[in-house]
Amino acid sequence: MQKPLHQIAAENPYVPMPVEVIKIITEVDTKDIKTFRLAFVNKEDEERFRYIPGQFAELSLYGRGESPIGIASSPTQKGYIEFTVQKAGVVTTALHEMEEGTLMGVRGPLGNSWPIEFLEGKNIVVVGGGFAFTTLRSLINYMIFEENRKRFGKITVVYGARSPGLLLYKDELEAWGKRGDIDLNVTVDKGDATWKGREGFVPTVCKEVAPSRENAVTVICGPPIMIRFTLPVFFDLGFSKENIITSLEMRMKCGIGKCGRCNVGSKYVCKDGPVFSLAELDKLTKEY
Amino acid sequence: MEKKLLKKDRLSGIVKKMADDKPVYAPVKDEDNVLFKILEPGMEPLISFANTKDAPKKVFFPHSELLMKYTRSPKGMVFAAMPAGEKEFVLFGVRPCDARSFVLLDMLFDQEKWKDPYYIDKRKKGTVISMACVHPPYAACFCTSVDGSPTSTQGSDIQLTDLGETYLVEFLTPKGEALAPYFAEATAADASAEAKKQAIAEQSAAEIQRKIPGRAIKPILDVSFEHPFWDTIAGKCIACGTCTYLCPTCHCFDISDEMKGDDGVRIRNWDSCMFPLFTLETSGHNPRTSQKQRWRQRLMHKFKYYVDNFDAISCVGCGRCVMACPVNIDIRKIVDDISKLQV
Repeated sequence: MQKPLHQIAAENPYVPMPVEVIKIITEVDTKDIKTFRLAFVNKEDEERFRYIPGQFAELSLYGRGESPIGIASSPTQKGYIEFTVQKAGVVTTALHEMEEGTLMGVRGPLGNSWPIEFLEGKNIVVVGGGFAFTTLRSLINYMIFEENRKRFGKITVVYGARSPGLLLYKDELEAWGKRGDIDLNVTVDKGDATWKGREGFVPTVCKEVAPSRENAVTVICGPPIMIRFTLPVFFDLGFSKENIITSLEMRMKCGIGKCGRCNVGSKYVCKDGPVFSLAELDKLTKEY
Repeated sequence: MEKKLLKKDRLSGIVKKMADDKPVYAPVKDEDNVLFKILEPGMEPLISFANTKDAPKKVFFPHSELLMKYTRSPKGMVFAAMPAGEKEFVLFGVRPCDARSFVLLDMLFDQEKWKDPYYIDKRKKGTVISMACVHPPYAACFCTSVDGSPTSTQGSDIQLTDLGETYLVEFLTPKGEALAPYFAEATAADASAEAKKQAIAEQSAAEIQRKIPGRAIKPILDVSFEHPFWDTIAGKCIACGTCTYLCPTCHCFDISDEMKGDDGVRIRNWDSCMFPLFTLETSGHNPRTSQKQRWRQRLMHKFKYYVDNFDAISCVGCGRCVMACPVNIDIRKIVDDISKLQV
């Protein structure tokens, strides 16, 4: 007799937990980024999948393969997990062709997380660009959750996309904007006829918003070009490298530090990362 | 643990007797090579050989391995079954360098936080019988430079040492002792046998003339990632990956899916840091685009990263990569050269 699947998955980190795609949201007008809401088939798996914002999971499509994707939902959202995925390779393309009601698999949660304990009691500056906003969205929803909000100081968000149609989570951005407890700055590189918001690149907006370095930590995720121009802004504002946190991406397979391809120096991005402070990255080799 | 003496001409029969009861992997002649294979009736285990062409890590970490099976359902692809569990088996005729590789691989696959159940299951089921090197088999041997020795018992459950007329049989672990009934005809070893082994150990280690500063280059590697030296090592490398495939400690793998009709398997296959595709991302970005970077990765992984993470050099000095490299890249020379770098 074979053991129940939830028990096999609990004992074997390569075995995905079955999940059902319960909702698919097309996020952008180019239709190549979708959010997949997944519900665990087995209660035992749902209880075991305890995650912290910043962690990722391997999305597993039998017959196609696996893809490591950051968890976009917050652990404060119960009953499901969400992943926002850009259509890019074999697995993510197959994922984009899926319909609600389909079964697939998830392995995780994997990796470290945003350093929640370190962030507590501090002012948090969240900076995101384009499609790399997913685990930042998880962090924001975690911090503004009723019971959690008082554990964090001022929350400033700078989020940018190339055009209004490429902004993720538009309904949530609107809801956040109506709250009094987030300084929300949404920007697009170039607006359109209907866009009434801010225009400008993320680094420029960061400069204008000029968050104080006092008791503050910034959490930055975005395309390399955005990161490159945003970091000097925060250096100028006086943020130390210990207080600038980011997340790395590398090609991965196992997700648990065995298959040997996502190392940066002695560290595996899958297991020791993906989250590193700039101070930690300075100690690693520049091979990512 | 117990030590016995066995008449040399009895060994082959004992191994074949084991093979009647359970799978026994042993070195066998295969055309021009000596390879580890499961002994089938009529096959002769090699008792006298230099070393195998392939490293015995493949027994615990196969070249290609089934992870799970799945099948189509009305709601999509779903899990079907795990591979059948491993039976108890014996791995006979392992050289001490290769036996040490198991200890090094245990550090990675059997970590506290993430355990690799496929590897661990096979390690639990397999009993390792090693053959001490009375004389180092190759000029390329350098085990003594990477924390090993030609008579090291690390990673062995039983070790056999050729004392001339007899084998000294050392039962090193409970798993090894469980095979003692097969050696029932062996007699108790006395102090003179142990003294002989000690003499062989010293003599054999002394025969390895080639020394490299295995541990000493670590502090140099810590500060030389950007050193121009790396530009000089990979020029003739053709990225064939032979070094990594023959290496007893290389553990990188790929996971892939294969389907036939409505059924499929997820398997893992050995992969190699020598290949450009190894780190190529979907976006097109590749953190290691040049063979120089890939060679640096291989060297660093063995002599720095593994030391950082596990305080062990991920090289056992078997010499396979030195002997098999089609363009004669010699890792010993590279390590030598690194030790002389001005940093």
